[in-house]
Amino acid sequence: MKKKLICMVMTMMLTASMLAGCGASSKTASGSAGQLNVFVWTEYVPDSVFKKFESETGIKVNVSTYSSNEDMLAKVKSEAAGTYDIVQPSDYMVKSMIAQNMLEKLDQTKLTNLGNIGSQYLNASYDPGNVYSVPYQGGVAAIAVNTSVVKKEITGYADLFDPSLKNSLVVLDDYRAVIGMTERSMGLSMNETDKTKLAKVSDQLMKLKDNVKLYDSDSPKSALISGDCSAGFAWSAEIALAMEENPDIKIVYPKEGAYLFMDNWCITKGAKNYDAAMQFINFMLDSESAQMVSKEFPYLCPNTKAVAAMGSDYTDNPAKNPPADVIASGEYLEDLDSDTLSIYNDMWNKLKQ
Amino acid sequence: MKHSGHEWKSNTLPAFVTVAPVAVCMLFLVIVPLIYVVIMSFCSIDEYYNVVFRFTLKNYAMLADAQYTHIYLQSLLIAFLTTVFCILIAYPFSFLIARTKSRKKNIYYMMVIIPFWTNSLIRIYGWRTFLGTNGWLNNALRFLHLTDAPVNFLFNRGTTVLGMVYCLMPFMILPLYTSIEKLDQNLLEASADLGARRGATFLHVILPLTSGGIFSGSIMVFIPCLGYFFVSDILGGGNSDVIGNLIERQFQSGNNWPFGAALSIILIVITLLLVKCYQKIGGSMDALGV
Repeated sequence: MKKKLICMVMTMMLTASMLAGCGASSKTASGSAGQLNVFVWTEYVPDSVFKKFESETGIKVNVSTYSSNEDMLAKVKSEAAGTYDIVQPSDYMVKSMIAQNMLEKLDQTKLTNLGNIGSQYLNASYDPGNVYSVPYQGGVAAIAVNTSVVKKEITGYADLFDPSLKNSLVVLDDYRAVIGMTERSMGLSMNETDKTKLAKVSDQLMKLKDNVKLYDSDSPKSALISGDCSAGFAWSAEIALAMEENPDIKIVYPKEGAYLFMDNWCITKGAKNYDAAMQFINFMLDSESAQMVSKEFPYLCPNTKAVAAMGSDYTDNPAKNPPADVIASGEYLEDLDSDTLSIYNDMWNKLKQ
Repeated sequence: MKHSGHEWKSNTLPAFVTVAPVAVCMLFLVIVPLIYVVIMSFCSIDEYYNVVFRFTLKNYAMLADAQYTHIYLQSLLIAFLTTVFCILIAYPFSFLIARTKSRKKNIYYMMVIIPFWTNSLIRIYGWRTFLGTNGWLNNALRFLHLTDAPVNFLFNRGTTVLGMVYCLMPFMILPLYTSIEKLDQNLLEASADLGARRGATFLHVILPLTSGGIFSGSIMVFIPCLGYFFVSDILGGGNSDVIGNLIERQFQSGNNWPFGAALSIILIVITLLLVKCYQKIGGSMDALGV
């Protein structure tokens, strides 16, 4: 009897711990009326905004999160069509998803708040005419330095490879970002496809191995704030938040030209709650929503009406509002062919082995 | 003819009724998914990383790449160390539970079980806070003037092993406990009467009699270790990946499902080999609780 009990307890624990391993925190995903299933980046959309939308419209929002574009793509493909109504792909991923016929066209007549978005952020090369996407927030993958620990002056991505930073970096757990950063540090494009150049990139990337203490895309600020890592390669708003917690932490925009990104609202093909999704996207374009977002996750805000309302707290903070020359000299990722991507993937595996 | 037909009914029908639901469950929950994984491992991917049913052996050829073999070896090392530490810690503790009379026994027993009612992710994150540069342990060490600069505990192979030991300890304690519980007190007395010292009694009587528990505990600890990717993610910081991380990456950011399936097959093969070894050295499948 006792043995049976032990067996049962053990099986229960085994299954429980296996389930715990499944990272993505997906909640229910049923598609009845009055519901909306959104799939967004971690640490990117505040709960308060979802709550406000729920109380204004009565539509229940189910939130799931991901930590890289590739994770999102894999998850959307693996689930039944229409499991998620709304996704939040970055620039190059929008292009790729359009090419794979994974996105639904947006009903432009419903986007009454689109005028709030600055014209420089509209009509991007990855989605001309904003047929499938509208911008949410953007930013830079920049360098964070804890100046009380790191004495060396950091001015660019290349400095992150310096041996003096051994075992002290937190970097994004995102292969396009880290390899892109490595490419920029060598004066190459983040979208390099030339095989001989990529072999050199791979060598350079291996020099980063000893410096990386932690790979974390979800919340790289935590390791910076706790002091576990003294420098890092992270999203600009993560650095902005770390700076608020610890004034010794500074943001450095790389002199080589930075990694830029712009994330967008899109509706997946076969979405079960299309109307609610359109309502939500228009709600997010509202100036007040954008301000609520910016307060918690201070990325580059394309909502000019919200920027005007936020004033100098936003505009004068270099981490929240990257200077215009950083944006001008930066580069966006592009969708690459699968042969090149598998070279990138190999490099990444070699780095992380 | 008629008689045998009747017999068929009387013997087979009850058997069929009782076995069929289990068989159907096994078919749909174990066999079909397994076949799916095997088929997937021979598929190719197209330019957008979608799975296409074009036969290829490339996924299996990729398994032999040096970058992956390094991770297999690292996984085996982590799993081996975890198992050894689990035995060293769990054996005395199980002995304590089994040999304690009175109510204390239940308290000890509950001490093992109750922490496992909390989600393991949360407990693993707890370790991360505890061991951090400005965590409790480092603060305590500095307070006691044992160190000046913070000690680097986190994000290496050692912390991964620590997390694994912590997560999997009950799977070692419970089988050990059952086997020690069954130990006949008379045998120990007989051993003492025949002049054996305590060490000799332990080596020649207790250890052989409880070896079944050690073996089954080891299997229960070693195998999950190869797949517990979240432990090496959170405590290893991505610097001490196990096979589970490799598989997870193929299904998520790597977006190469067929290769992920081939890796899963490798994991299944390793598991089967280990269980086979376990049977060879005389372990019973009952003791595994499967």
